[in-house]
Amino acid sequence: MYTFHKGLYTDVRIETVFETRMTYAGETLEESKVRKYRGAFIRVFDGKLWYYASTSNLDSIQAEIDKLSKMANPNKAINSNPIVLSFEVNKGQYLKFKDNSVTNIPREEKVKLLKSLFPIVQARETIKFWKANYVDAKKTLEIYSSKGTQLEFDVQRVGLSIAMNLAEGDNKFSDHFQRAGIVFSDISDCAAELSQFIDKCEDYLRNAQPITPGKYPVILSPLTAGVFAHESFGHKSESDFMVGDETMKREWAIGTRVGSEILSIADDGTIPGSGYTPFDDEGTKSRTNYLIKDGILAGRLHSASTAAQLEEGVTGNARSINFEYEPIVRMTTTYILPGSQTKEELFSEIQDGFYIETIKHGSGLSMFTIAPSLAYRIRNGKIAEPVKISVISGTVFGTLSEIDGLSNKLELYSFVMGGCGKMEQFPLPVGFGGPYVRVKSMNVQ
Amino acid sequence: MIREKYVYQLRDTTISVTNSMVESIRFKDITKTSIRVYKDGLIGVAGAIGDYDEDHLTKDAIEALKQRIAYPCEPSINFSKSVDTRKPIISGSQFLKEIEGLLDELARNQPGFSFSNKICMSGERHHIENESGLMLDYSDKAFRMELLFKEKSSANVFDGFFGFEERYYDRKKILEQMNTLLNAYTNPAELPKGDKLPVIFFKNSFPIGKLITDLRGDIFATGGSIFSGRLGKKLFSEDLTLFQTLDPETVINVPFFDAEGVVNQGYRFNFIENGVLKAPYTDKRLAKKFGLANTGSAEAPYDGVPSVSFKNWSMTPSKKTVKELLGGQPGIFILMADGGDFTPDGNYATPVQLAMLFDGEQFIGRLPDLQISGSIYSMLGDGFRGMGSNTVFPFSTEKMIVTEMTVTL
Repeated sequence: MYTFHKGLYTDVRIETVFETRMTYAGETLEESKVRKYRGAFIRVFDGKLWYYASTSNLDSIQAEIDKLSKMANPNKAINSNPIVLSFEVNKGQYLKFKDNSVTNIPREEKVKLLKSLFPIVQARETIKFWKANYVDAKKTLEIYSSKGTQLEFDVQRVGLSIAMNLAEGDNKFSDHFQRAGIVFSDISDCAAELSQFIDKCEDYLRNAQPITPGKYPVILSPLTAGVFAHESFGHKSESDFMVGDETMKREWAIGTRVGSEILSIADDGTIPGSGYTPFDDEGTKSRTNYLIKDGILAGRLHSASTAAQLEEGVTGNARSINFEYEPIVRMTTTYILPGSQTKEELFSEIQDGFYIETIKHGSGLSMFTIAPSLAYRIRNGKIAEPVKISVISGTVFGTLSEIDGLSNKLELYSFVMGGCGKMEQFPLPVGFGGPYVRVKSMNVQ
Repeated sequence: MIREKYVYQLRDTTISVTNSMVESIRFKDITKTSIRVYKDGLIGVAGAIGDYDEDHLTKDAIEALKQRIAYPCEPSINFSKSVDTRKPIISGSQFLKEIEGLLDELARNQPGFSFSNKICMSGERHHIENESGLMLDYSDKAFRMELLFKEKSSANVFDGFFGFEERYYDRKKILEQMNTLLNAYTNPAELPKGDKLPVIFFKNSFPIGKLITDLRGDIFATGGSIFSGRLGKKLFSEDLTLFQTLDPETVINVPFFDAEGVVNQGYRFNFIENGVLKAPYTDKRLAKKFGLANTGSAEAPYDGVPSVSFKNWSMTPSKKTVKELLGGQPGIFILMADGGDFTPDGNYATPVQLAMLFDGEQFIGRLPDLQISGSIYSMLGDGFRGMGSNTVFPFSTEKMIVTEMTVTL
């Protein structure tokens, strides 16, 4: 299909994209569009430097290959370069979303679904302003490489969200309801859930109390636990930060105890959801990657380049946000594995602490942070009044070692709007989840 | 029917740095075109990436009118202005070699640190024109560095961050600025005592999240904002005048007009004047719907309807320098404070991953991990000291804001 230059590794990634976006502000339609485009990202590697270009003109892919190849320095030994040796060679067509493609659903049906939720929101006097979004995206990727990969696969996601601003007297509160999936039927039945969510928001609006900052035991909901795993440990498992870093290699050696012995965390691109990708953007097959097993560091996430440089195996985690960007090491669906206690048992063992049900955002640097939205006091083993918390935080090692309870059921989630950010590449669709997680002590501000 | 075209062009060369060495070079030349048609109070939009057929795209935009997206506003008309602020920075052919040289010298100056992420030369062009005499064109180019640094002995993913965006390049000044921080980084400093301490932020790092959420026109006007119903009230320090600015002299790679072709007088719109709340930010639709001033705050994706967005902002600087604003006290310079947020009633708290003790001109040393907190009303009210009149560091022209906050270990 393409002529690849001798002495160089080359790959081409072509993306065919279909996206729908509808936005209502109250009942007023603000946006309704279907976006269709194709684009390609080209990479050339000479053993020393990578050369990248992107184009929306697929007829010019060969010209871009030629231009980049001219800049590079051909290397007779390129095929024995450790990074090049790392690349898997995969062939075939892996199209999961044909009959159940969102492209087959008429626009009217998508509008109807979204609008079916409006009466629930309109009935609430406390909701002063709201915005409803329907989004879907189907992406078909083709990857061709000078090593012989010829691959075609697809990914799809669909979701709706309703952002609400509530007010009553001087009290204000905002949050958003969302439901995500990979096929249209995943999001079709959420009216009851929306109603219950608004009940919680109104309770928060009317009754939320300030807190005294300090260290407390905290229980994280499965949604919060998933974000916690993603931010506290997931980013640290992305191996590009470790390349050439002898201190990190020592501190994060496989086999090091990094958390409580009840804790296991995995990343898996084969799980349906926003993080689903059967192959990564280098054509490496996705798989279940254990990051922590029973508190012990078990693995990392890699691209072909980081795998080679750290002398470990590829994991299927080289991803990019769109055709304008190169793949870098990213997560897929990251989750804490469930434990053995019931949810009730976890709560019953806390005299004074907090429960974080929903979040605004999280981050993971030298410490991780989570900015809660719906949060509650736990008193004498039971969920009590809602509380206003700006942020909970902790150091990675410290907090992972403080996990002392996991409930016995795994719940997985996807965000409808937004996604994971890593420097310039935001937002990347990812999935996350876990059981209910109890942490003995966290900073609560 | 009025037809309007918006063209966005990005030309960008980005070098990726891993472990203090160049790993890759990426070339980007992307053009995105939007055709909008306005008819009978409705708007239709179609967009294209790269090459396109104008007639075909116009037909798609006309077809999009059937979605019946209300746009009961007039397009901007009868105004023509072209601004080109591009200056020669580093030639394309020299860019890779120069950055390799910079990194090499940095590694020699600071052998105890490693560096990673991106350095780029980025040029943007924004153009809007319509059949009613609107023609606005803006071109700019900048050198941008977003470099993470890490002490080689540290087990963190990274320890700090340098972010610059300027219309010039000066290796000597860049290194001088980086050395200023990195040399002080290895000196431990103690947190001064006190309930409230002066805290310094670079302007673009100041936590204004509550203004972004609660000064949005639709949320403000419908009562969902903590500022709702308080236009004209003095809520903040009388030393605070905070405004949206798209002034091409000082704002880099952002057009002087918004996505609806609105150009403000002096490229500026005041949200807060001498502490008094003057306006929430709006686009044409919000301004009309709620009877508010149009602040020229519209953004639009290449294939979408314009909608409101918080754009570049600034404050009127104090007559005092940063040192004078500190008034002889050492300040807590916040270089990295990620993850915190505001509560619904405007209280803010965040952990601080990197803070330096600062005397108003120099970093003294690195403080331990901290937490800072305050309310929006104190940070911009009784605790607000001002935005310094000067820039302190050799390369960056970004100003600094001083305010008092609660700082704890």
